[in-house]
Amino acid sequence: MRTHHLLCVCVVAALLAGCTNDRGSPTVAATTGKAPAGTGGSHAGDFGPPQGEPVHAVLTSPPNVPPPTNRKAPAKVIVDLEVIEVDKEIAEGVQYTFWTFGGTVPGSFIRVRQGDTVEFHLKNHPDSKMPHNIDLHGVTGPGGGAASSFTAPGHQTQFTFKALNQGLYVYHCATAPVGMHVANGMYGLILIEPPEGLTPVDHEFYVMQGDFYTVGKYREKGHAVFDMQKAIDENATYVLFNGAESSLTGPKALKASVNQKVRMYVGNGGPNLISNFHVIGEIFDKVQYEGGTHAQENVQTTLIPAGGAATVEFHTEVPGNYVLVDHAIFRAFNKGALAILEVGGDARTDIYSGKQVDETYLSDKVASTEAVSIAAQANAAGTLTKEQQIAAGAALFKGTCSTCHQDAGQGIANVFPPLAKSDFLMADMKRAVGIVLNGLTRPITVNGANYDSIMPPMSQLTDDEIANILTYVANSWGNSGAVVTKKQVTEARATTKRPEGAAH
Amino acid sequence: MSGHAVHSVLVSIPAGRFESVLPPAAGIKEVSVASFRIDSIPVSNADFANFIHRSAQWRRDRIPRVFADTQYLRHWESATEPGATLRNQPVTRISWFAASAYCEARGARLPTWYEWEYVAAASETQTDARKDDAWRQRILDWYSTSGRGPLPDVGQGVANAYGVRDIHGMVWEWIEDQAGMLVSGDNRQQGDPDTMRFCGSGAITMEQKENYATLMRIAMLSSVQASYTTATMGFRCAADRVTR
Amino acid sequence: MRCATIAVLLLLTGPALTASSLPPGSIYHLNSTLVNQSGAAVGLDTYRGHPVLITMFYASCPAACPLLIDTLRAVERSVPEGKRRQLRVLMISIDPERDTAEALRKLAQDRHIDLSRWTLAHADAATVRKVAATLNIQYRRLPDGQFSHSSIVSLLSPQGELLQQSSTLSSADPAIVATLVQVTQ
Repeated sequence: MRTHHLLCVCVVAALLAGCTNDRGSPTVAATTGKAPAGTGGSHAGDFGPPQGEPVHAVLTSPPNVPPPTNRKAPAKVIVDLEVIEVDKEIAEGVQYTFWTFGGTVPGSFIRVRQGDTVEFHLKNHPDSKMPHNIDLHGVTGPGGGAASSFTAPGHQTQFTFKALNQGLYVYHCATAPVGMHVANGMYGLILIEPPEGLTPVDHEFYVMQGDFYTVGKYREKGHAVFDMQKAIDENATYVLFNGAESSLTGPKALKASVNQKVRMYVGNGGPNLISNFHVIGEIFDKVQYEGGTHAQENVQTTLIPAGGAATVEFHTEVPGNYVLVDHAIFRAFNKGALAILEVGGDARTDIYSGKQVDETYLSDKVASTEAVSIAAQANAAGTLTKEQQIAAGAALFKGTCSTCHQDAGQGIANVFPPLAKSDFLMADMKRAVGIVLNGLTRPITVNGANYDSIMPPMSQLTDDEIANILTYVANSWGNSGAVVTKKQVTEARATTKRPEGAAH
Repeated sequence: MSGHAVHSVLVSIPAGRFESVLPPAAGIKEVSVASFRIDSIPVSNADFANFIHRSAQWRRDRIPRVFADTQYLRHWESATEPGATLRNQPVTRISWFAASAYCEARGARLPTWYEWEYVAAASETQTDARKDDAWRQRILDWYSTSGRGPLPDVGQGVANAYGVRDIHGMVWEWIEDQAGMLVSGDNRQQGDPDTMRFCGSGAITMEQKENYATLMRIAMLSSVQASYTTATMGFRCAADRVTR
Repeated sequence: MRCATIAVLLLLTGPALTASSLPPGSIYHLNSTLVNQSGAAVGLDTYRGHPVLITMFYASCPAACPLLIDTLRAVERSVPEGKRRQLRVLMISIDPERDTAEALRKLAQDRHIDLSRWTLAHADAATVRKVAATLNIQYRRLPDGQFSHSSIVSLLSPQGELLQQSSTLSSADPAIVATLVQVTQ
């Protein structure tokens, strides 16, 4: 029963002027009697006192959304939200202590109707270490409820507000240090339906992005702890949908069918990063930026600010997996900002054919890799023949060597030396192994002609592959030589220094 | 009454000046702290049980509700005994009234916020380590772990430069001027010029916004009333330099 | 309001409570000793048996504390004559250094305070802290000697339970008046 204290230093005579409120003053339109444009905002959102018995709000965990209120009159709605600090996986094998509204990140979804009077009960679990509070962006009043809901561990507080503005609003904890409370997952969405409700759809989903900062690296196993400096530097370790890497993938992917209307309530808790929300392979038919009233149509990627939300709608036509990403794309592939929407149903090849042609295109340098795998297996079994080596070597040569040395090993005059009937090559096969592994950057004379090109190291090839290529080369186009064995290559690799990871 | 407790000693802290996270007033950054003494470790359940044996009005079954909420010492085995596993752990689920009474019975008091903050600024090697990023992150790590699970025994931590242990990484700690934090429940109002002008300069502007560990202490202390008890709030006592 | 209801029930149904059987929420459990404007030692429970308006202030306060006195008077005036006679007012200083009995007596004279039903008191720092804690009053001494504090009027039941608090200044908070009327016999 902590009351709102009017704190005053007695030297301040302006005490009675009261606190200013940046949201409370009436608009000019209202005072001049003009009809407000659009929905009329908060000034038109008071539909009088609540009617009927109080209603307990249905709260849902992400990605679920409570059913429409289907109310035609303002009600008193009781919201019971519990703050729980929980250890959960942020990525596979990585635990993190999340601070949550309702046990999940994002917190429970709250759905009320414009004009409702919301009696908000915030309960802080006795096991909590921290005090917490809640600032709902859908509240009209100083702090959005933050000071009124400041709650010690093992205690509960209550405050009441009237939902004057329709829209989709972020809520979050605003206890010091605010950034850390938000970075630990303390945010969620409250939907304030327009009085007439929203148009029916087949699926509603709740997706919320957040950035996370840990002392350990991305996916570093163990218990990850919050890294204050990374958070201040806005250097996120993870960028996630719904608080974990696997929260909306694999068996937990969102599911819909073709020919359905999908509505996603997409929030961004931040604390720092703006989301570039995109669904790969879909175009949003409609986006209500900031969860507001005016919709944009045919949107590819929509910005969702930290502390903001958007309602996106689209219609499914083609079955398959649709990937939700933050299109600041390293966040998707290196920090976890990936989710999947699985759309089931019959193919619609008239809209999207699927792959119709997939041929290798290598400037006709196509080679079967079958011989390569036969040789590799034979070598492993100890039954490798010279013929198998030559067959495998021929296939590998086509993909790797023929670009410069040409298909028949003839080379290109004065640029790339010939391998066919090559005195330089055949004089020292051990040297040849070294050149493949390390490249060659000095002038050489081959069959009487001088060459001064650069051959890059081919150390990305396995010892097997190099042995097979050289065996092929040493026994083709008029060359007649011995077998080069894998063992020879292995020894050469072990005894020479060479640059690793050479270019193909 | 088995198990041997690590006994606390009052460590002398020299007088000094420092910049607090809570400046005393606008434009004044430095705070003076007179020399004082403070417990080297938090008060344990065993310590508190000894107190209760002498002052039975502080038993959980006798304490008036005005002094403690319903969870006061709820984790103890009985109204007078914490039980073997809890004995050497810091006492928690303790109200400000009970903590004050314990210290008074010892001829001591709770430390003031400035005293606590002054001592808590020390690392193992420096009396003011607050600019040491690595140390700051290390003490912050405690706040990144869950409040569930058993507490460690008192006195296991490494002593800081003053010889004080477990001031970080164990429990929240009550302070004497609990009612003097004057920090708004909505941290973001700090330093709002309108608030300063029209609502009085009641709310204090927090400084050192990067000092997360200390900011959290203040948030926690300002979220509780004097009768509140929580699973992670304990205390240690302090005294003026000269024995009273 | 829940507190108020409970208190009414206690008053109507329970026998007169004895000193040893204070209700659990009573601030009189503090057993604190104050010093009044005459320099006499009085208990915090000096007005036990009466509904009490209690507040914390400091005498040298230039703005809000004078308003506190006006506020207390406004509440008094809002209560019907018969019930008003039951009401007591206790103002406790948060400034033990400067608010001596003499300073408090002077304030009482200057403001024409009726000391038959009002008490102005000071106490040692530890007592002030505890009384403030039971009333959830925040205060802090500033470097210039002024205090920053919550200006709150609290209504205590005859047994010292906190029934209602108000931060309304200079006029009578209707809620506190209503509860007061309800608990006064």
